[in-house]
Amino acid sequence: MSWRAHGMRAWLLQRLSALYMLLFAISFLLYIAPNLPITYEYWSDLFTRPSIAVATLVFFAALLYHAWIGIRDIIVDYIHDTTLRFTLWVLVTLFLIGLGIWVALIVLSVVAV
Amino acid sequence: MRFQVQRYNPETDKLPYLKEYELNTIPTGMMLRDALLQIKAQDESFTFRHSCGEGVCGSDAMNINGSNALACLTPLSTLSQPIVVRSVPGMPIIRDLVVDMSQFYHHYRAIKPYLIVHDPMPEVELLQSPEDRDKLDGLYECILCGCCTTACPSFWWNPDKFRGPAALLQAYRFLADSRDQATNQRLQELDGPYRMFRCHTIMNCTSVCPKGLNPSAAIHKIKELMLKEMI
Ligand code: SF4
Ligand code: SF4
Ligand code: FES
Repeated sequence: MSWRAHGMRAWLLQRLSALYMLLFAISFLLYIAPNLPITYEYWSDLFTRPSIAVATLVFFAALLYHAWIGIRDIIVDYIHDTTLRFTLWVLVTLFLIGLGIWVALIVLSVVAV
Repeated sequence: MRFQVQRYNPETDKLPYLKEYELNTIPTGMMLRDALLQIKAQDESFTFRHSCGEGVCGSDAMNINGSNALACLTPLSTLSQPIVVRSVPGMPIIRDLVVDMSQFYHHYRAIKPYLIVHDPMPEVELLQSPEDRDKLDGLYECILCGCCTTACPSFWWNPDKFRGPAALLQAYRFLADSRDQATNQRLQELDGPYRMFRCHTIMNCTSVCPKGLNPSAAIHKIKELMLKEMI
């Protein structure tokens, strides 16, 4: 089985993605805090802005990548049968890619170009 | 004082089992190793490894009331009864408390536990400043008892591929040595999904080390070195 990012690379990228998610979450909350309570108009207007859309897409990319490495770690730890490991691995990857495409479609459907 | 001690004879037993023993006179300050010697005097079919009796040889690592320690450094007064003594987890049992440590030594050998020097050897010793020597404190004291590695869940799941905390601590001992010249080679050999990166900082290793060493911190230092190497 080939591991495109493994060892140091995976470890580092997992931490960097966590950092981005943390920064995004904090700045997003600070950004919307003055406008609480949030109305539907404000919320939908927010996501028409390309900068917000891009930051959100990067957030979900980081989230899915982070999860991908995490689940792979669990599989490598506990599942030693090669066929089962490979099958699970492919299913998890496809599932996460599917989620990614779904998220992208939703975010891109509201952004004003 | 009541004891439950793991017994296993490969010729007659399918599985290890616990056997009850009772000792009546316990002098104050008695260590578990001395109690096991008395048990052995009661029942000479029982066996366990030990030698120095003072935490130097590293041969009497065992699982005492659920956590790994050296019997010779464990006072009976700190243990609740019945005192349950098993062999260290995750290692093939040879007999009673004696386990096969081959896997453990294999990983130790694999990290090349010796100085590698590419320059021509000097006429005298390889010198080192006192400050550089200080960097080896907390690393060189390891007695290879295996308490840490056999307490590590990552080692239980991948004992053939994950080096384990003891070997990784020694890997860092040579990485940290100013006289060693194989930093790159050592780091490269530890990269990849298994050898070091199965460690998830669970820190069982650090909590059980009878010499008070910190393999988990050493593993972190190796990661820092790798990161520096990458950038
Ligand atoms: S690090 Fe501590 S527990 Fe591990 S082998 Fe060395 S002395 Fe034993
Ligand atoms: S910190 Fe790493 S090496 Fe130590 S017990 Fe945890 S997983 Fe094992
Ligand atoms: S007997 Fe030597 S370390 Fe315990």
